[in-house]
Amino acid sequence: MIIQETLLSVSFWSLGVAFFSYVAASIFYVAGIIGLRRAAATAAPAAATAAAGGAAPLEAVAAEEGAEGASRPFYRQAPDWAFALITLGTAAHAVGILTRWQGGGHWPTANMYEFIGFMAFTSMLAFQVIYRMYRFPVLGALAAPVAVIILAYSYVFPREVQPLIPALQSYWLYLHVSTAALGEGFFAVAFAGALLYLLRTRDPERESRLAGLALESVFWFASMLLAYTALAYLLRYVLNQEWIFVLDGGVARYHMPPLIGPQGSTPGMSGSLLGLPLPVAAAPAWLAGKNANTFVFAILMGTPVYYFLRALLFRGRSFREGLGNLARNLDADLLDEISYRGVAIGYPIFTLGGLVFAMFWAKEAWGRYWFWDPKETWAFIAWMVYSAYLHLRLNRGWEGRPSAWTAVVGFGVILFTLVGVNLLIVGLHSYAGGDL
Amino acid sequence: MAQVQPAQDRCPDCRAVLPPAARYCPSCGVPVRPGTPVRRRQGEPSAWVQFLDAAWDFFASTKVATVLIILIALAAIGGSLVEQEGLYQDWRPPELYYPERYGATLGRLLMATGLTHAYTSWWFLTLIYLLVISLIVCSLQRLIPLHRALQKPTVEKHEGFLRRQPVQGEIPAVEGDPLAPLEAALKHRGFRTWRQGRGLHADRGRLGRYGPYVIHIGLIIAAFAATAKVLPGWDITEDLWVADGQTVTIPGTHLAIRNNRFVLETYPNGMPRLFQTQATLIDSGQEVLHHNIEVNQPLRYGPWWGPWEIYQASFREEPGAAQMELVWDGRVLGELELDLKSPQPEYSVNSDVTVVVERYFHDFGLDPETGDPVNKSREIANPVFLLRFVDNEGKELGRQALNVSLHEDVAPGSVVEGEIALRQTGITSRWYTGLRIHKDLTVPYMYAGLAVVMLGMYITFFVFHRQIWALALGDRVLVGGRTNKNRWGLQQELRPVIRQLGGFLTAGFGLGSGAGAPGLSQQPRSPQGRD
Repeated sequence: MIIQETLLSVSFWSLGVAFFSYVAASIFYVAGIIGLRRAAATAAPAAATAAAGGAAPLEAVAAEEGAEGASRPFYRQAPDWAFALITLGTAAHAVGILTRWQGGGHWPTANMYEFIGFMAFTSMLAFQVIYRMYRFPVLGALAAPVAVIILAYSYVFPREVQPLIPALQSYWLYLHVSTAALGEGFFAVAFAGALLYLLRTRDPERESRLAGLALESVFWFASMLLAYTALAYLLRYVLNQEWIFVLDGGVARYHMPPLIGPQGSTPGMSGSLLGLPLPVAAAPAWLAGKNANTFVFAILMGTPVYYFLRALLFRGRSFREGLGNLARNLDADLLDEISYRGVAIGYPIFTLGGLVFAMFWAKEAWGRYWFWDPKETWAFIAWMVYSAYLHLRLNRGWEGRPSAWTAVVGFGVILFTLVGVNLLIVGLHSYAGGDL
Repeated sequence: MAQVQPAQDRCPDCRAVLPPAARYCPSCGVPVRPGTPVRRRQGEPSAWVQFLDAAWDFFASTKVATVLIILIALAAIGGSLVEQEGLYQDWRPPELYYPERYGATLGRLLMATGLTHAYTSWWFLTLIYLLVISLIVCSLQRLIPLHRALQKPTVEKHEGFLRRQPVQGEIPAVEGDPLAPLEAALKHRGFRTWRQGRGLHADRGRLGRYGPYVIHIGLIIAAFAATAKVLPGWDITEDLWVADGQTVTIPGTHLAIRNNRFVLETYPNGMPRLFQTQATLIDSGQEVLHHNIEVNQPLRYGPWWGPWEIYQASFREEPGAAQMELVWDGRVLGELELDLKSPQPEYSVNSDVTVVVERYFHDFGLDPETGDPVNKSREIANPVFLLRFVDNEGKELGRQALNVSLHEDVAPGSVVEGEIALRQTGITSRWYTGLRIHKDLTVPYMYAGLAVVMLGMYITFFVFHRQIWALALGDRVLVGGRTNKNRWGLQQELRPVIRQLGGFLTAGFGLGSGAGAPGLSQQPRSPQGRD
């Protein structure tokens, strides 16, 4: 017992090391790019006078460095530091998974905390594979924050090791979930590549209002997830807040102030917050009050965080403009290829783990290989979206941005499959759920 | 040689780079020159043939296939947002459930559009089978021309063609045969090579080009396997409830299953740990198999390609029997057990007294209109016995209306006429295991289809077809290469070959591309990227 508890706490601390390594790596990657851009900007006038209308600014920077001698400036070293940090983080993450496996007694992909953390791990693993192929540090500036957000989100869910219910007692728990998650990790890298491609090939002059908003909403959504995660963690585990409704329909436990109460609650029955009665209103029958409340909080908190990040990083300009500037010199073809490569590796792995192994396990446990259970259906939808991505690229006029958008949307579908389906749609997989 | 316009350089359908003067795309096989005959025929085609031609061309288009894929994804999303028939947790039939769940109007609308059984609805199945047709037509349209093009490549290409390849290089020509060192180096790396005039062609991994068609064939097999479920007897499902100790025949077969014991174990925190039915399978009266059926361990019986499979699906506990003692004037005469599911007509306690069950209600209530005693539900919820006691000569000793207590803290109710009565001493449960019986003959075909799909995926995504052309141009050799996947890998492979022969890359990632695209100013950071 003591050994088990020790292993579990080693696991917890290893995941902490991984988390902060990913955070530091994200900062190093972004700092490296910003440094490179600033240096290029200061060198550009000199280069323009030196070579009439020709030399690329970065070559001028390189020349300048050569003059300075062997010591490379920080922004040149930053990507190497960042990659070392990611390697450290992935190793610590692996230790965390293995110790939780031994301490918990089963492969740690059985509940939301374990699974979402595992998915952050596979996305960094996939990043390592792709990075070793292309040595393209800018990719890390998006891929590492994706892993940070995913891993942070896992901390919202209860961390207790739950024993396995009979349906999960199968070696397919290892094979199906780990393989599917590995494929999804590659999709995460493909998402980062596709997003960079969209930022790089964006034409501010001709961009429609809707297209601009769509691109911006990706960052807004990420801010929402980040803000919600921080608030939920603070209220639930640091301040230990809980609002309990005992109603005819059962008991509802809220971990956030209930602005929207469960169906049947009356305004003000949970006291008040800053003069506002809690709940302000009860949810209608077709909507789960707790999910609606969570959504309201995510928007309320996410929007200021979005504007704060934008002010901090890009002096108040939009993400697409700020990041687009940083991405201006990247090779769009290479970004496209990196994104495609992520899908090309992830797609067969996901097919094997998320569909084929899933069918084998469904046959073994439930008697049929396909049920159209919501989780299965959404895995199928994700698979179809990536199939569409692979075919869009073959069509003239649909390669490039339309394909890249499909890779971005595809990752959204993956996230919904993993999280949204468990939390919002009830089905055979609902045992894997936590609560929002 | 005729000047090739850039607009004609790429296949209009799949965007593969075309050889000069090609009539068919070597990659996907579609005709690329106007007026190229697709199929030879004589005379004016009939309207029917024209229709078939148009249909064929429609389904042969990758655009149509892509749109179908997207439509299927959207249709599947629609279905996932509505609780599907057969999956919702309610006993009511759809006509009653959906208006209650989604409101009268929306509920009826959902049922009318088929969204409540989306995955068997006519629109979903139509989309699926349109995609299957598209898969078949696209594969047929492209596979044979592709095979021909791969077997007989054009070796000597025009210089302009080489200058359009994504990866290009130049090597200084050597005395004698200028192409020989390159050919040897490529052969060493496992390339197949051809020579013709001033030209060299080499390729490796052309298997990769067949991969997509292997995937498509696997998907077609899987679609047929799924469709075969409609054949009578190919997909059988039965749900059975079997009480401890009971034997139940599987309907329509000579098989029967006996539940020796159902075991339910829980963890200390109350979560279930084990559902197990200790079962015996009986074939034509013979015990043939003992197996502990658990959730991930079904019982299998029969040939590997289509066994009967029995799954642990559910369980139920219900009141089983009430233990009674017969009391006459304060003396206990004997004990008996009243079965609460189907009690015997009479129980003899000893040679003197027989208990006759006149009527039994498993869920006693009074009909509000007639006032007659009735059963309120199908559950054993409020069992009431109307009993008569007779001696061995048939003389009535007394009567009793007995309301059996199902919980220890509720006293049994009883109305007695006479000196003799039953007194409840206990209650036992009866456990039912819920077994699901399956026989699905489509499974081996489905799994075979999936195996073919996975094989195709491996070939498609991990075998790269790399094609290289070289042209001797006096003092130098021009090299151009392309690949269906992993351009970066091709560049990485070609770079050392060309450098070893004293040359250098002139186009590729980080070097500008051969088609005159603007160069990039930030190179990928690799040792090679700096040369």
